[in-house]
Amino acid sequence: METLQSTMHPAGTDAAAIAQLSWVLFVGGGLVFAVVMGLTAIASLGAERRRRFLSERKFIVIAGAILPAIVLTALLVYGLTLTGTRIAIAEADALRIEVTGEQWWWRVRYPDSGGDIITANEIRIPADRPIELTLLSADVIHSFWVPNLAGKIDMIPGTVNRLTLRATQPGEYRGQCAEFCGGPHALMAFHVVALEPAAFDIWLAAQREPAASPETALQQEGADLFVASGCGGCHSIRGTAAIGTIGPDLTHVGGRLTIAAATLPADAASFARWIRDNQYIKPNNLMPPFGTLSDDELAALGAYLEHLK
Amino acid sequence: MPRRSPRKKLKDRIRPRLKEGAAWFGIFIAAMIVGGFLFTWSGLYSVAATSGHWPGFGLFLEFGMRSSVRTHTIGIAVPPLHDAALIERGAGHFQEGCMPCHGAPGRAPNPIAHETLPEAPDLVASVPTWEPEELFWIIKQGLKYTGMPGWAAQQRDDEIWAVVAFLRQLPALDAGEYQALASLDVRDQAVSDEVLAQSGPPGVGLATCSRCHGLDGQARASGAYPRLDIQTSEYLFAQLAAYDDGTRQSGIMAPIVAEFDEAELRQLADYYAASGVAAADDADAASESESDPAVLEIGRALVIEGLPDEGIPACISCHGDNPAARSPLYPALAGQHASYIAQQLMLFRSGARRATPAAEIMAVIAERLTPAQIDAVSAYLSGLQPGAMSETAP
Repeated sequence: METLQSTMHPAGTDAAAIAQLSWVLFVGGGLVFAVVMGLTAIASLGAERRRRFLSERKFIVIAGAILPAIVLTALLVYGLTLTGTRIAIAEADALRIEVTGEQWWWRVRYPDSGGDIITANEIRIPADRPIELTLLSADVIHSFWVPNLAGKIDMIPGTVNRLTLRATQPGEYRGQCAEFCGGPHALMAFHVVALEPAAFDIWLAAQREPAASPETALQQEGADLFVASGCGGCHSIRGTAAIGTIGPDLTHVGGRLTIAAATLPADAASFARWIRDNQYIKPNNLMPPFGTLSDDELAALGAYLEHLK
Repeated sequence: MPRRSPRKKLKDRIRPRLKEGAAWFGIFIAAMIVGGFLFTWSGLYSVAATSGHWPGFGLFLEFGMRSSVRTHTIGIAVPPLHDAALIERGAGHFQEGCMPCHGAPGRAPNPIAHETLPEAPDLVASVPTWEPEELFWIIKQGLKYTGMPGWAAQQRDDEIWAVVAFLRQLPALDAGEYQALASLDVRDQAVSDEVLAQSGPPGVGLATCSRCHGLDGQARASGAYPRLDIQTSEYLFAQLAAYDDGTRQSGIMAPIVAEFDEAELRQLADYYAASGVAAADDADAASESESDPAVLEIGRALVIEGLPDEGIPACISCHGDNPAARSPLYPALAGQHASYIAQQLMLFRSGARRATPAAEIMAVIAERLTPAQIDAVSAYLSGLQPGAMSETAP
């Protein structure tokens, strides 16, 4: 799990380029540091002849001005070339995904995938296919960063930023908001799940479907409580009367890895905890705490939401 | 040097005298303290209310009280006090909480109140001698050693101002006008008696409730008090229980609820829930819907669609018409009086009403509403017929 969110373990072409640049800089910087330390040692402790050589004007001009200018210019050109090509150059077969930063979660849309696919806090992508992310903000400045896959870019209100990435292998990669956005900013994370292309297509097709109907009596009770408690004022469950757009779409919430922006696992017990105690779990988040519900009612709601795979 | 020595001599002469005087003063103070304590300990002073005050001492205490009230009310801003709902709200409480000691037009105070010291003043005469903010402060804080209590819900300044608004009207009222203000169903006394006789066990409680909420639960058209006929028994009982345990704060309702036990409160909730909304008074509803169409449209949009960009869900998502598809802790709103809805939303918004779990939910939403939006929502909801919210949904 230590590689779940790490720039040093790239799993995408863009992250790999960034990691490569980092290593070049680390190694190059280390070499320069070693040479300078060596010269410093010679200048302090070395023989008279060597110390005199180090203090000559010719050496100072070449090693102190010309050489750094050449090395730094080369590094700059290399770095800019490497990272510059990574931004906003969409490939023809790129999959477009729109991600909106909201206080304090992520709204994720698949605009080109037929049907109204909206999910939250989890971006599923096909592995080894270019992805073009359209990054928006609904309120304040957020920053989108999945270290294993790509660089970091801000989400600015009123501005559309784009980021391209390509996961080289299937896997789960954690991302998080990298710009302080108030209150529970620290609990605003998400996952990118890269799937084999065939598995991704199956997932996408399932996402187009409306929500699963309750199957057990407990799930039915949960569904009724969802309506009666007014959850649909803020949340949508496609195929039901719940059409709220303020909070995350819950149509397939039971199939996600986490809820509350990678704060809790998406299981029945977590749903129950979150609905009543969300202000303890994630203080100042924008959802009211539903202390009106009994333990049994929360269990029913949890069972219903978990069922929405 | 010749100039300094006489001064020094003067100083030398005065200093011992000062010291002597200070010593005597100290002895005098100590004697006063010891003597005062001994006098108090002896019990010679009578604390009997019937013994009255020493000549002039009552005037001195009055002077002290007026000075204290004057100083402590510096900086209190007085809100508008001419709203009919505000005056009626204050009148309803006055009958229950103030009249027993102070009396009212056409009503002598309880004889017990005559035997207090000081005697509770006749407010017809004394109200004009106070500024509104002074009345507010006295009602809120009470007066030490007089029997005048503070307000039972300190976070409800709005209720206290309602009493002040009523008090400002009081001196000009005759007995009939007072009755009409303080007791809703006095004009239908024959009907009241009949219903009270039929209503069985909740009879006594109903006499209290109906003064403000009416026997039909529709309350007053001004919106001084909420309609109860549109609510479920579960909701009404939950509110009464919350007044009783202090999680819903009201200096008007709490003293009334305290008079009844749980079984009686359930009977009263059942009575009003079963009173039915069929007998809606159309004239009242019509008078409330005479609002600006632009304002009503803002209200309609908030009620039916909400304002997602501002994080405001639609009212209808929780407060829909069908009580079976609504949490028993959520009230019906269609047809409720505008003044009451606006007042409660302002309480939610300010945090004065958020101690119950359901209020906690509403407070989160109400904080996102502006006062103008609150007025628009209230106007729109009050103009609806009970149970007719969803008819306007797209």
